[in-house]
Amino acid sequence: MKKIAYFDAGIITPEEILIAADLVPIRLLGNPNIGIDKANEHIPPTHCVWARNILEQAIEGLDSDIKGVIVTHGCDCTNREFDIWLECVDLDFMFFLNAPLKRDKTSLKFFVKDIKELITQLEEHFNVNITNEKIIEAIKLMNKIRNLLKEISEYRSKMTLKGSEFHHIVKNVQQKDKKEALKMLEDKLEEIKTRTPFTDKNLKKIFLTGSVIDDTEFIKFLESLGYQIVQDDLCIGTRYFWINVDETEKPIKALAKYHLSKPIYSTKVPSQKRFDFVKELAAKYNVDGVVNIAQKFCEPILYDHPFMAKKFKELKNPIPYLFIEMEYNRESYKQLATRFEAFAEII
Amino acid sequence: MSKAYVKKSKLLKATLGLKNIMGRHFLAIEQAIRDGTPTAWATSGTPVELLYAMDVQPMLPENSATISAARKYSQKFIELAEDQGFSYDLCSYFKTNIGAVESNVDVTIGGINKPTFMLSSDVICDTHVNWFQVQAERMNVPHFTIDVPHVVSNTNNRQYNYFKKYVAEQVWELLDFIQEVTGHEMNMERSKEVAKNSYDLSMVWQEIYELRKNIPCPISTKDTFGGLFPLFTMPGLKAPIKLYKRMYREAKARVDAGIGALEQENYRLMFEGIPFWYNLKYFAMLEKYGAIIVYEPYTYAFSKFMNPNVTKDMLLNKPIEAMSELMLSFWYIFDLKTRIQKFKETVDEWKIDGVLLHNNMSCRPNACGLYDLKRRLSDDYDIPCLIITSDMNDPRKMNETQVSNQIESFIEILHKRKKK
Ligand code: SF4
Ligand code: SF4
Repeated sequence: MKKIAYFDAGIITPEEILIAADLVPIRLLGNPNIGIDKANEHIPPTHCVWARNILEQAIEGLDSDIKGVIVTHGCDCTNREFDIWLECVDLDFMFFLNAPLKRDKTSLKFFVKDIKELITQLEEHFNVNITNEKIIEAIKLMNKIRNLLKEISEYRSKMTLKGSEFHHIVKNVQQKDKKEALKMLEDKLEEIKTRTPFTDKNLKKIFLTGSVIDDTEFIKFLESLGYQIVQDDLCIGTRYFWINVDETEKPIKALAKYHLSKPIYSTKVPSQKRFDFVKELAAKYNVDGVVNIAQKFCEPILYDHPFMAKKFKELKNPIPYLFIEMEYNRESYKQLATRFEAFAEII
Repeated sequence: MSKAYVKKSKLLKATLGLKNIMGRHFLAIEQAIRDGTPTAWATSGTPVELLYAMDVQPMLPENSATISAARKYSQKFIELAEDQGFSYDLCSYFKTNIGAVESNVDVTIGGINKPTFMLSSDVICDTHVNWFQVQAERMNVPHFTIDVPHVVSNTNNRQYNYFKKYVAEQVWELLDFIQEVTGHEMNMERSKEVAKNSYDLSMVWQEIYELRKNIPCPISTKDTFGGLFPLFTMPGLKAPIKLYKRMYREAKARVDAGIGALEQENYRLMFEGIPFWYNLKYFAMLEKYGAIIVYEPYTYAFSKFMNPNVTKDMLLNKPIEAMSELMLSFWYIFDLKTRIQKFKETVDEWKIDGVLLHNNMSCRPNACGLYDLKRRLSDDYDIPCLIITSDMNDPRKMNETQVSNQIESFIEILHKRKKK
């Protein structure tokens, strides 16, 4: 089966279009076990390490079933690095999806056009016919997946499912054939329902937010310090399934609307709205604290952090908030242990 | 003009008038604040002309940040911003502005008043949008941002056309926004006049650049680094046109007399990126080798009329569409393929011996692609390039000894090539 990869900081690539083209969408994620070498010949070391890590993998050569890549408008990294990908990554199909910055009628109209352009180029390149019927079918499939993920996600706050296991599940879904993913999720849900809650009652309940966090080992590291992630707004997390695509609307418009309505990421405007979503869920899930993680050099998160810090402090019932700038390698996690332990003590 | 004059001071006499022009800009701001005329902060790359056309006085925080740096205040402001939680790695213009506003300092060291509203766009960088979002919230003023799609190396015409429409629609929305916030209506006649002035200003600037093709080059960065500011802060006004014309005439006289800005011109260089405003003496250092910078995409960029599709006619008949289209194509946002091509053409036309590339730690969008640009220029076209890593406003990120050594070795390379 032909696969198509996407490099997307904010998970705004409409996977349904790719599924409707009989392609398997694969989200490109970092690999903290590799050294960055070749990508550093193209991008200065003071630029986002996560993006450089992915470029490194792409230069080395992706899975041979991957026949093309979509880079989706996110931050200055994804946007400017696309041209570098064109220079040094050996793939025939390369598309830059200009997912709009703002969320209004004008942007929606534009996004519809850009998705249509993606469709035209996919049809021409892969010699396929992406019909509305096929898109609707893909939307229905993805809605089922989103619903299942949402249901499974709840077992984190029921203290039955570890945050790390859930993280692994979402990651898996983003990198798998979606029909297989659906089956996997159905089985998983049934199995989880039979579990009994954790015995450890002292776990600190955390809301996790920030840059893309794709290393499950990091979540396990937090768990080893006595934390349980009960809720998040991550792209490998709720931002991937929080709402559904409207099945009654024209499919392309429905997809565009969906991506402009889901919980906002710091790469889009008004990014300060991200605080509202985090606050609401943090309160609803009665968390002990919010942890905001910035990958080193991740500007969108770095710009938003002081605002978030101030807002959490100003709440009538202030929510403890911890901000961490993180290096993308496992060795460095250990150095953060003291800060996480100190935070655990005050919450 | 005597050679003795050139020897004593490489600056054009006309450039001395820059102080007056910029002084007028700041006086106009003061007056607007006093009179209660609406004001706006704008980021570079936005259609500042439309603000003038709607009787809104623009203020350019990037310009103010350079003043802080030149007056050696930027580090203090940057550190103040960092104390408030803004990372060491964020853009130093942004942090300078945070610190300057927080300290409520005078305009002469980069202070800036609270505006009626803010206008940003992501055309050049995300920082512009994030910066104004942060400050709009802190200062409690409305903020409008224009989303400009990224033209990448494989964007096709079909895409380009709907990109143009998207930008234009937002610019129309901007006019409504300004009207709502200020009560001022768009006056098409005024907008044409402003557009015409902006065009004329840019054209004189481009003519000045044409003169720099001469050997020896009549103008150095002493004239252009500061000279760019009216283009950026006052596009649409008449006053700077006169100044630029004076600069042109004086430079032309130098060309006619065979006089260069340097007494002896050995090497002609191009400088990509924003200069180190806190340490401009570094550029003077080049002179001791007889090296002169004859082209800076940065200072050329603000003459914005680089798109042949945007003619003067279009500008006068459809100013909004023209301004919108201009936002899609200028030096600072060229896709990598075009950027490489433009560099190659510029090197040929301006007879450039070597290219200095500023890997600016503040400016990731501009630094992105720099390594490939260097590789392609050296490998495909045999153009010597040097990457200097530093920062335009944060002196802590400049390693003087290292940069001097790098430049010295680079000049050595150029020297050997000349001897061959
Ligand atoms: S981690 Fe941040 S800087 Fe890196 S690609 Fe994602 S949004 Fe951009
Ligand atoms: S220096 Fe670069 S990042 Fe900073 S405001 Fe200017 S263009 Fe944006």
